[in-house]
Amino acid sequence: MIFENTLTNLPIPKEFKEKAEKLIPPGEKVLFALLGDLNLHGHYGASMIAVTRGSVYAFDEFHKGGALNLSIGYIEEAKVKRMYGNAVIRLKLESGEQLNLIRFTYSVSALADAAAAFFENVAGGGEPEKELEMVAGAYEKMRLVCPKCGRKLSRAGSACINCTSKGKLAKKLGAYIMPEKKTLFFCIALSLITTAMALVPPYATKMLVDDIIPNKNIKMLLTVIIALAAAHGIQHSVGAVRGHHLRIIGDRTVARLRNDIYAKAQYLPMSFYDKVSTGSVISRVSGDTNNLQAFMLRVSQDAVVQFFQMVGIIVIMVAMEWRLTLLSLIPVPIVVAVARFFGKRISPIYRRIWRRWASVSSILSDTLPGVRVIKSFTSEQRAIKKFEDYNAEWLKEDVKASKIANIFPHTVTFFVTCGSLLIWGVGGSWAIGEINGITVGLLVAFLSYASKFYEPVNFFANLNDSYQSALTSAERILDIIDAEPEQNKEDAIEVGRLKGKIEFKNVNFSFDKTKKTLTDINITIEPGEIIGIVGTTGSGKSTLINLLMRYYDNYEGDISVDDINIKDIDLQSFREKIGYVQQEPMMFRDTIFRNIAYSNPKASVEEVIHAADVANAHAFIAKIPDAYDTMLGERGVGLSGGERQRLSIARAVLKNPSMLIFDEATAAVDSETEHLIQEAIERLISGRTTLMIAHRLSTLRKANRILVVDKGEVIEFGSHDELMALKGKYHKLIEIQSMSLTIDNSQ
Amino acid sequence: MDRIYIEYDNARITKGDGILLNVEIYGGETFLNLEARRLFPITGLDRYITLLDEDGNEKAVIRDINNLMEDSKQAVLNAVNEYYLVPKITKILECYEKFGLMKMSVETDRGMYFFDIKSRYSDVKPLFDGRVLLKDASDNRYEIPDIRKLDKKSRKLFNSYL
Repeated sequence: MIFENTLTNLPIPKEFKEKAEKLIPPGEKVLFALLGDLNLHGHYGASMIAVTRGSVYAFDEFHKGGALNLSIGYIEEAKVKRMYGNAVIRLKLESGEQLNLIRFTYSVSALADAAAAFFENVAGGGEPEKELEMVAGAYEKMRLVCPKCGRKLSRAGSACINCTSKGKLAKKLGAYIMPEKKTLFFCIALSLITTAMALVPPYATKMLVDDIIPNKNIKMLLTVIIALAAAHGIQHSVGAVRGHHLRIIGDRTVARLRNDIYAKAQYLPMSFYDKVSTGSVISRVSGDTNNLQAFMLRVSQDAVVQFFQMVGIIVIMVAMEWRLTLLSLIPVPIVVAVARFFGKRISPIYRRIWRRWASVSSILSDTLPGVRVIKSFTSEQRAIKKFEDYNAEWLKEDVKASKIANIFPHTVTFFVTCGSLLIWGVGGSWAIGEINGITVGLLVAFLSYASKFYEPVNFFANLNDSYQSALTSAERILDIIDAEPEQNKEDAIEVGRLKGKIEFKNVNFSFDKTKKTLTDINITIEPGEIIGIVGTTGSGKSTLINLLMRYYDNYEGDISVDDINIKDIDLQSFREKIGYVQQEPMMFRDTIFRNIAYSNPKASVEEVIHAADVANAHAFIAKIPDAYDTMLGERGVGLSGGERQRLSIARAVLKNPSMLIFDEATAAVDSETEHLIQEAIERLISGRTTLMIAHRLSTLRKANRILVVDKGEVIEFGSHDELMALKGKYHKLIEIQSMSLTIDNSQ
Repeated sequence: MDRIYIEYDNARITKGDGILLNVEIYGGETFLNLEARRLFPITGLDRYITLLDEDGNEKAVIRDINNLMEDSKQAVLNAVNEYYLVPKITKILECYEKFGLMKMSVETDRGMYFFDIKSRYSDVKPLFDGRVLLKDASDNRYEIPDIRKLDKKSRKLFNSYL
């Protein structure tokens, strides 16, 4: 049995099994098999590699004889060559020959990486059984994926957050209404009263027409009129109380929903925001919840009443004259059919309207904050044109929806009117001929009930329109609520003050699987060290920091702090220990005091002032008329770049972090301000492990060691003197900067 | 910085190792084993093809594949067609939503395939020329060359997700 306990990503097809059994000697055991989904010519089809202790067997129709066999010992280099939408395992043999083993889509590329590493390690003398552990790890990682929905599980073997909580849309939204169920039942009871009262007048009409007026019974006439007045009075006063309570239910429900979306948006990983524009999220929090609120109010205020009214009327109508009741029901199937017909057509239009509107909102949220850039490039007309184009697209879809949305209710009303005419025709002729005991009073009352009966039918037919629109909004909202949040293990460790030892072990990372952003990062940073990170733009410096900050968790390898894997540390307690000063610090529309205290809202006034002092910010704050009470505009409008940067350093000071990260903190300021900031940074970093990304190498004079990153790889790591002696990339960068300084000085 | 643009007969391009190309410029300069990448993989499949060496440094740019000499054109076309796998969807067999994923079973010019789309809003991009670009949960790409030319059943299955 060559396939005993074989690791495999998919069941092995019978055809490959038979071929392998013929090809592989019976004594050998297949350690792992990798099933691909493309043939070597790029067409969908099965392919496979079966790997034993010493050999690899590749099965693909385009290998000679359908299979290829070679000894792992002959492999000099094995790599996964990622192309666009597909990849191959490419081998370089000792003989210099190069060949493609199998081809596959990105769906299996993570496993192929492990297979390639296995070949290289075993060819280099590694023990196959030991190397298999790494492959098994990759396969296990694949099993961390929910078999139902394909999303990553929070940990191995755990239930899928997405699938367990996924139910019907209504069930999910129902959970938001459940806290209001007592009030809801109270309102339903009130609606029974209003419905009953609404059914009194037609019956009273029958009494008036058939008995009271022909018999000239004045006393009875007064009694019925008083009874009718009372019925109307009760109906409207109870209706007002009910309306008030139902509106509160609707508002509370939507407020809860809005809070949840906003809260969820805070915990969504950065990878979500890489794909979804913030404008689209804003539109979901505001526009979609409003849309849903309108629908909820419509349903909660009217639908319950209409339903009871419909049932009540049918009961009374059947009791009065069952034959006419059947006649009046004739248009109902037509109305339902029309509703279904239009519903199917209008739903995609509403989805498109939403997309168009999200595009319009995105332009607003993207361009208005960047109005300075627009003005500086005098591209106002271009911005207006773009907005008009997108708005026109929205208008086009909305006009389409309006057409269908208006044809629909009028078609329904037409069929409803036909129903009334039918009752007039048949009922009228029966009344004239005195057939089936039909009286004029009964016919008038019946027509009155019938018109009331069509009210709920019409209502439910029209409800489809707002239901479709609300459904689209609900889907958009649940798209956020159901999105996978940042992973935080249930048994995550809460950490206290960190010493600051940072270790990256075999870290590989790719944003979209098409290109590796970081490759094989192996570094150890000792507690208290100041590490400068240099490299050209796009070399992977910031990505390194993004991984350490746990903005992205989907990397291969391990990152640990104080010998604890950062994925095992409670996310909040971990990030609390890191002070992060960015190139463009984000200020909120609040006072300077609160902006500094953002990192520690419990800080006392004196602590905030001290932090500002350490950050060289106190002096300039004191000179502003409103000092610490100065209200900043959006994104810190009102302060210079250097001033904002010093406030952000003050924030970091107040946080009292264990580790510090500076991402080009002085890149956007003049030399004098840079000096002030540098001074502040030096005060702050003493005794703390610090990572400093810098383009200006002069800012790294305090660094113990320098990490040079190039094309996602660490190419040099050592002290300034060591790297200068190495005469590598760092030396080159220093030379370039010295040269530009010389030019600057000579000018 | 001067960029070498290749067009008409100012360079001869031949097949190198695997999907790589060898380029001989009219002026005498020769580059071996360059990788061809589209600079506009969505909006201009045959125009502006950059040629990179193994370190990712650009050596030359082809302005338009169609203006190259026939042999060179074939060599470049073969290379880019090997590199880029964007199956063209010819028929939609199934399209439904389950567990928050859009599930599609399709016939393509590369055979039948089944895949999941995470977000129908961000991973399905209809373009104004009738093309629809799709990206599955594993980042694989697909293209419907012209949605209007799909059969009625396929359009019906797909329309409500568009």
